[in-house]
Amino acid sequence: MKSTPVLEVKELSIKFGDFTAVDHVSFSVERGEIFGFLGANGAGKTTTIRMLCGLLVPTSGSASVGGLGFADGGRGIKKIVGYMSQKFTLYNDLTVGENLDFAAGLRKLAPAYAKKRRKELFELIGFNRPLSTMVASLPGGVKQELALAAAMLHDPEIVFLDEPTSGVSPSSRARFWSLIRKITAMGKTVIVTTHYMDEAEQCGRIALMRTGRLIALDSPEELKKAAFPGPMAELDFKGEEAGAFISGLEKAAGLLELSPHGMRWHAAFADKPAMDAALAALPPSASLSLIKPSLEDVFIRLVEGTER
Amino acid sequence: MNAFNIHRAYSIARKEVMHILRDPFTLALALGLPVMLVTFFGFAIDYEVKNISLAVSDRDNGPASRRLKEVFSSSGYFHLVEPAPGEGPVAMVDSGRAAAALFIEPDFSKNIQGGGRVEAQFVLDGSDNSKAGAIIGYLPGIQRAAEAKLGAPLPREPFSVETRFLYNPELNSRWFTVPGLAAIIIGLLAIMLTALTVAREWENGSMELLLSTPVRPLEIIIGKLAPYGLLVLAGVFFVYLVSRLVLGVPFEGSHLLYLAACLLFVTAALSQGLLISVITRQQQVAMQFGMITGLLPSMLLSGFIFPVESMPPFFRYFTMLLPPRWFMAAARGITLKGADLGELAVPFLALGLLSFGMLALALIKFKTDLEP
Repeated sequence: MKSTPVLEVKELSIKFGDFTAVDHVSFSVERGEIFGFLGANGAGKTTTIRMLCGLLVPTSGSASVGGLGFADGGRGIKKIVGYMSQKFTLYNDLTVGENLDFAAGLRKLAPAYAKKRRKELFELIGFNRPLSTMVASLPGGVKQELALAAAMLHDPEIVFLDEPTSGVSPSSRARFWSLIRKITAMGKTVIVTTHYMDEAEQCGRIALMRTGRLIALDSPEELKKAAFPGPMAELDFKGEEAGAFISGLEKAAGLLELSPHGMRWHAAFADKPAMDAALAALPPSASLSLIKPSLEDVFIRLVEGTER
Repeated sequence: MNAFNIHRAYSIARKEVMHILRDPFTLALALGLPVMLVTFFGFAIDYEVKNISLAVSDRDNGPASRRLKEVFSSSGYFHLVEPAPGEGPVAMVDSGRAAAALFIEPDFSKNIQGGGRVEAQFVLDGSDNSKAGAIIGYLPGIQRAAEAKLGAPLPREPFSVETRFLYNPELNSRWFTVPGLAAIIIGLLAIMLTALTVAREWENGSMELLLSTPVRPLEIIIGKLAPYGLLVLAGVFFVYLVSRLVLGVPFEGSHLLYLAACLLFVTAALSQGLLISVITRQQQVAMQFGMITGLLPSMLLSGFIFPVESMPPFFRYFTMLLPPRWFMAAARGITLKGADLGELAVPFLALGLLSFGMLALALIKFKTDLEP
């Protein structure tokens, strides 16, 4: 049985002058989901999120965010969602306590409630430094976690994270993603944009965006299946000259995608017979292994492939 | 009321106070700079022309001509220089070694004793007309002193104009300058402080986060105005102390009235800064705009240097839109004349309207969406 979606977007568009930043986007998100936006810079991920946070009013289309729309200019939405922006996390010249007090003040939280929430969130993110710590002195990963805490102080049902891990170390990224999973386990819904494929793999569903349009939306597994219904081979020429073979392969029937990955090549085919036929002339020195397509392959095929 | 929440405005104000306290540069700028500038320029700007070099050609060299020269030198404005042999006084004026020259005829003393009409010629370097104007202003006084001293009953004019200055009897230009100077410096400071604050939040992206909460523009604006207003008023207080204690400017009127005028003027200037900040969204641009709109009109069009009354009609009306013009009038009126609210109704009303208008404009221009 399907519950009512916590977020439902229908034909949402926004124009800035003549430029259509988001073009008729529709999707819905269930409670407790990790919903990812993947796309190049300028694809419309951030703009979509800003609309859903009430920061931008759409030009056309409708959205229901936790049951609320844009009738009041987005004010109602602002009260029930949490938002962590791409660029700014916390004021560097204020202490941890001052930053959180400020966030609580803007949300009109009662001091006792704010204190209780702060304690809960510190526990969640494992923060145990004194409140009087200057934010400027904190490492990037900790700042990011604190910013998440500040965005969740008012206990929002839906949390929007716009590239939350840009510029932090890989171990901090992993920590942050385990936090995201903890939050959704508590029944919150997380909507996140990212550049990183390994992060996208961790989302329940991914919305792929390109030039303002939603070009694919599914779980990572299903996206891979849809993009690559047949087998995918990784070819390793072990440093041998393979230019002639590759240019021949490019013209092979049933080839879906051929892309270089470092020293190796990934070749995807419509089905097994097509692969066998195309790779019959593979030089004996080269090795062939069947691989599962990665999200990066999907991204290249769906996003960049359509541009060629 | 749903439109404004004091709690949120207070949260923003408290945060701004923290920013200010953590930034010793801003604090020093707001409290120290006005005092420094007012002291510095208070001493430097002096419209009184003193130490005028007067080259004298005394071809009489009698008792009367000596007394006439004494009158000039004892006035406190002139010091006499003798032309070098073979050089006329005019040559000295030409070369800039003297600002004026005095010619005394050979029969000067003899004619005075004879009870006849005597004349001395005064030649003036007109190339610096503000200096020349000031020197001309001294001449009637010199003439009266000379008549008294020489005892020569000069032919009476049918009538004579006597000028008596009220309020600033010595026409002490420092008294006149300092209140105006304080207005300009404080106005500029207020504009610059707030011009940067909203632009900074746009630039570092924190505005986006602020706007993602249910906070309203009025709450942001009030929250930002209040702490900077207090800061600038503290600066005003120090300027007041320096003006009174160091520069010796008198204060004739009501302190409460002066505070009210300052409050209105500071609000107008802070709002102007906010308006700039809200529109430009960039610190660099906001700073340039603040400098230009904060300094030039208040220096040149507020009546600080050039009297508003002598401007062409368009500019005379244009100056009515400038808060410094009205504050200048109110501040000079209160400090020098001891004027009361009744006499200053127009400046006060204008200041009130302008500061309200500026605030409203900043509020209207404050867009809450993030449209690029």
